[in-house]
Amino acid sequence: MDLETYQSTLARLLTTAWLLPLCGFVIEIFAGWWSNRRSKAAAYLAVFCIATGFVCSLTALLYWGEKTEWAAFAGHAAGHGEAGAEHAAGAHDGAHANAAHHAAAGAAAHATPAYPLAVSGTHYVLVQFGRLRVAIDYYIDSLTLAMFTMVTLIASLIHVFAIGYMGDELTDDHEDHEVHTSHGHLHRPGRYYRFFAYLSLFSFSMLGLVLAGNVFLVFVFWELVGICSYFLIGFYTERRSACLAANKAFIMNRVGDFGFLIGLMILWTWFGTFQFAERTEDGQTTPGLFQMLRTPEGEILRLNTQSGQRVVLVDSHGDPLLDPTTREPKTVPYLLLVAAGMGIFAGCIGKSAQFPLQTWLPDAMEGPTPVSALVHSATMVAAGVYLTGRFYPMFMPEVLLAIAYVGCITLFLAATIAVVATDIKRVLAYSTISQLGYMMLGLGVGAWGAGLFHLITHAFFKSLMFLCSGAVIYGCHHVQEMPRMGGLRRKMPITAYTMLVGVIAICGLAIPWPTVFGEKIAFSGYHSKDAIVAAALTFAQLNPKHILLFLLPLVGAGITAFYMFRLWFYTFAGTPRDEHVYEHAHEAPAVMWIPLVVLSLFAAFCAVGGEEGPLFKLLLNSEPAGVAAGRESAVPGGISIPGHAAVAANHVAAGVDALIVAGLGAFLAYVFYGVRWLNPAEVKNQFAGLHRFLIEKWRFDELYDVMFTRPVHIIARWCTWIDRTVFDGLLHAAARLALDVARWDRKFDEGVVDGLVNKVGDLTFATGRSFRVIQTGRLRQYVMFIVVGVIVIGVAGILFVTQLRAG
Amino acid sequence: MSDNALLSLIIFLPTIGALGLMCFNAKAEEAMRNFALVITAATFVLTLLLLGRFDPAQAGVQLKVLAEWIPNWNVNYFLGVDGISLPLVLLTSLISLLGMLASWSVKKQIRGYLILYLLLETGMLGVFLALDFFLFYVFWEVMLLPMYFLIGIWGGPRREYAAIKFFLYTLAGSVLMLIALLMFYFGSGADRTFDLIRLAEIGQGRVPGVQFSEFVQITAFILLFIGFAIKVPVFPFHTWLPDAHVEAPTPISMILAGVLLKMGGYGILRVAFPICPVGAQYAAYCLVLLGVISILYGAFAAMAQTDFKRLVAYSSVSHMGYVLLGIAVWKLADPNLGTTAGAEYWESGINAAMFQMLAHGISSAGMFFMVGVIYDRVHHRDLNQFGGLMGLMPEYGGLAVGIFFAGLGLPGLCGFIGEVFSVLSAWNYSPLLAILSAAGVILTAGYILWAVQRVYLGPEYKGPHREDITPMNGREASVGYVLLAFAIILGVYPESMFGLMRETNKQLVVNMTEGYENSKKNAPKVSAVTPDLGEGVLFDPIAIPANPGAGALAPAIRGR
Repeated sequence: MDLETYQSTLARLLTTAWLLPLCGFVIEIFAGWWSNRRSKAAAYLAVFCIATGFVCSLTALLYWGEKTEWAAFAGHAAGHGEAGAEHAAGAHDGAHANAAHHAAAGAAAHATPAYPLAVSGTHYVLVQFGRLRVAIDYYIDSLTLAMFTMVTLIASLIHVFAIGYMGDELTDDHEDHEVHTSHGHLHRPGRYYRFFAYLSLFSFSMLGLVLAGNVFLVFVFWELVGICSYFLIGFYTERRSACLAANKAFIMNRVGDFGFLIGLMILWTWFGTFQFAERTEDGQTTPGLFQMLRTPEGEILRLNTQSGQRVVLVDSHGDPLLDPTTREPKTVPYLLLVAAGMGIFAGCIGKSAQFPLQTWLPDAMEGPTPVSALVHSATMVAAGVYLTGRFYPMFMPEVLLAIAYVGCITLFLAATIAVVATDIKRVLAYSTISQLGYMMLGLGVGAWGAGLFHLITHAFFKSLMFLCSGAVIYGCHHVQEMPRMGGLRRKMPITAYTMLVGVIAICGLAIPWPTVFGEKIAFSGYHSKDAIVAAALTFAQLNPKHILLFLLPLVGAGITAFYMFRLWFYTFAGTPRDEHVYEHAHEAPAVMWIPLVVLSLFAAFCAVGGEEGPLFKLLLNSEPAGVAAGRESAVPGGISIPGHAAVAANHVAAGVDALIVAGLGAFLAYVFYGVRWLNPAEVKNQFAGLHRFLIEKWRFDELYDVMFTRPVHIIARWCTWIDRTVFDGLLHAAARLALDVARWDRKFDEGVVDGLVNKVGDLTFATGRSFRVIQTGRLRQYVMFIVVGVIVIGVAGILFVTQLRAG
Repeated sequence: MSDNALLSLIIFLPTIGALGLMCFNAKAEEAMRNFALVITAATFVLTLLLLGRFDPAQAGVQLKVLAEWIPNWNVNYFLGVDGISLPLVLLTSLISLLGMLASWSVKKQIRGYLILYLLLETGMLGVFLALDFFLFYVFWEVMLLPMYFLIGIWGGPRREYAAIKFFLYTLAGSVLMLIALLMFYFGSGADRTFDLIRLAEIGQGRVPGVQFSEFVQITAFILLFIGFAIKVPVFPFHTWLPDAHVEAPTPISMILAGVLLKMGGYGILRVAFPICPVGAQYAAYCLVLLGVISILYGAFAAMAQTDFKRLVAYSSVSHMGYVLLGIAVWKLADPNLGTTAGAEYWESGINAAMFQMLAHGISSAGMFFMVGVIYDRVHHRDLNQFGGLMGLMPEYGGLAVGIFFAGLGLPGLCGFIGEVFSVLSAWNYSPLLAILSAAGVILTAGYILWAVQRVYLGPEYKGPHREDITPMNGREASVGYVLLAFAIILGVYPESMFGLMRETNKQLVVNMTEGYENSKKNAPKVSAVTPDLGEGVLFDPIAIPANPGAGALAPAIRGR
């Protein structure tokens, strides 16, 4: 009974947090009816909804922690005994060991005395055909709780920030200086309330994505956050660039979703369920996806057959599942599992703007800055990473390697472009892509915890930096080009120094010595990036072929430090470059800087303690079984994945490397843009070709235009042409043929048939005329004719009948 | 009211209304419109009563009405509803009502228009409720003529061409159906019958002594399929559709897209499939392939259009492709025994196809209505001469974007469920075709977003008659809101429709699989033709691993 209360309390709290923004949306979108365009009522409502959501999430997190006796924070070694050597803090509690991994998520199924760390359940059934079933499920574990708290907290702060930032929409006659019509600048009513309605809808969709208990539901909310992103990027619908960016974002996401859908098809057909956790109904337990694929220890049972390698599906105890009719064990071809994993990951590539679908995110900066902070840095784009983490047990080693390489390429590519970008928001956008690449890399090399750790820390410092850039843009009256800024720290000190916190955090700078309370003096990004680099180094050591997976992120760390400090020096340090802009610049109002301060505190301290700290342990609690131990490749040349112990051994070395590189990058930025000893323009001239290549974003837009956009339009025109000429042509030819036939028919009718008839008529007439001779009027002659006639007919009749009889 | 009267009244109330219109003064146009509106509304209420009496837990035909019509030929007036027809009846009466609300834009010869409109509604409802093949055929033809005149008289500049094209295409389909009808009639044993239920039992080999041979089933299926495919429309029989839609007045486009296209899918599920399981299985691959081609071809063609209405028309071709895809994913486990592989995937495919028909009925009717609203104001449909309508008509813009997103297949709106589940169920049948059909999601997003951008977004309106752009009136807004509301309800709570159709579709799948097995038992030597694309062992979920046995499995289990 207590267990049920526990489960339903958690579910209710998070569901409330999830649905409140939806209610907010429904009311806000009609604010044009119940309010006016100069009122902030819609904004307050939106803030109320999301802030209440935050309170619910936090309550849920604390309740969960309290009920589970803070086991998750005390030590993550519970349930990962095999990796416990270096993390001796964990209490090896049997109940926790049972509940700590995905496989044991069904709360009711494991009636252990302690409260399970993960719970799942169903709101209502969406679709059911036979045993196939899709429902509105929820799945709550420490990852869900951490994400919920993070998302609602950041969203609340950004909502508050937007109250000030979007203030110029609070009017009946808003002038958009970027849109030129035939009558000068465009004038339109302000759309303040609509902005908050979209934000609320987005918050609902994002929280739904995190709460979803099956991968189909993830897909549903995946699309919904996509459409919210479309609305928000295209918020200034009158601007052509905004419309194009919105379309590009949605369509490129759909390209990824095409892969996602293929993954779903494979899972649907071969597993018959989308559920993460197992489900107990009427005393019957149906295993979820993760239980079927992996034993409780996180192992996959492979089977070599003549038709290739297959994987045996198991139930939650690790025993093979049997086909009900044939009594044979159920198996899935290994290749198909790889394909399904790649498909799902393709969706993540689209959403998280990874290579090769990265080009939409920089364009998405057309949206208002709070949107960039919330949707395009902290939450939605991180959803790809979240899903990769959530779906981790389904990824085969080959897929993990692909994930690592995609992340690695992305982080390097985006970092190089960020170096030359001059629009303050675009620098941050490329930085976001690059950091998402780090997270993917972390997940790909087996550092599950590190990847998601970085997700959370990045969400804080990147949303902070975006909001700071928003404050700068606001203060400079919508100037976004950094070459027109400079020295702004004197005009807007709070923005400048909160931004500096974010910059230091993202670069991973730290003072390793002296320590305070046994802790290094470091902001959040140091801990999380360090963990990823350490895992990458270990992975490269285990698989020497893949040394690039360590080198590129290391170089990337240096580039990151360079472009982030470049941004800060460019904007805030030195002397003003544009006096006009500087003259009018001003600090943001309190409603905008208070969120900055709060976020900077989180950006600095959320990861305190690093990998021994509470946040990391909280996340690690949801780590899928078997990850901690790592995996030795069975065949030489295969892919080995490092375990926790191996990574820990490399931690110091990797940390030092990363710190040196980042320090170098920051120093270089100082030399170029801080004290301006070197002139960046000279370097630019020296490498003009490379500079242009980077300015043109590695020319991906042109490439895709030639490869996809144009061919699609050409095929589209072909289809129309085929319709018009081939099908309609055939039809018209048939119609013409019918008409021709009709014409011939008429000729035949008039010439041949009518001719014959006329002939017959004439003949009859002539015959009749000739018969006039025998029409004598004499009665006897007539009787004679009749008699002869009767005899002839009679004889003929008799002959006919006898013939018939004989025949 | 007895069941007997209810079904007949649903069908013939519009006819009575059409007769009633004769009594009006020809000048009293407003009164006639209102009267016709009341009639369609009353019909809608009657179908709601029907919904109330329907028992969704029952699989078979309910509320049967049976009366002799032409006893000499055993033709009966036989009506009834089941889970396949009921949702479509509801859709028909709803779209007819909304279409009537949209008919205020029709200005000439009102009386004639309204009479034909109501006769059309009788024809449509009759098709969905008839269970006697002869009666079905009669209603099918009854529907055709009013449509011909409605396009040919009240249509746009090329109305005569479009009307003739529509008429000839449909008539060709009817003729093929007629041949099949006669084949069934004369093959149905001593007591010849047009009874669709009885014919289905014969086709499924459940009547001792009578059976349609494989040849008859395959031939009849192909004839019927072409007849119905023209209506759906399926590539390559689709070219009547863009012309008919572009020329038809707005309410007629709504009916055409919302209801008439569904008759193709309905005909396949009601007539072609149950009576000819062998034919259905024989042609399954072809059907799925045509469905996939329609999806992609329609989407590509839509992308190249510059006429707004033509774009929506091609989107119908694309969306109806999912219907055919879902219906036909019937995979055999063993061609010799005729056993079915993964019947629940096929069942989910049929359910998804049915749902897609309803969803498309809502979304495409809505899209045509939205095109009509702006056409009534500015009298052109050139996609490159719109823009900025969101600012000029915010309410209209909001509703239109909502309905276009329902067409795009956005989760939470009606288009999503049907599309995604027909695609999901396709992998079991053929991975290759499933992947191709999934590619449709990208193209659909492309052409719909591009259209939305060109029409609703942007700084200013670029075309003529800028001064005539006025906000929607209450009548127009109500149509828009109702359609969007249904789009949301179906999208968020699909069980509302799945609940009605589930048992019937389940029974259909059971009947057809058994029917096919029966025919294989009776004629074991012929095997069905299914193209093998080399997807055999690897992609076959039912295929048992070559020789796993206990021995092969043991090391794997021990190894962990």
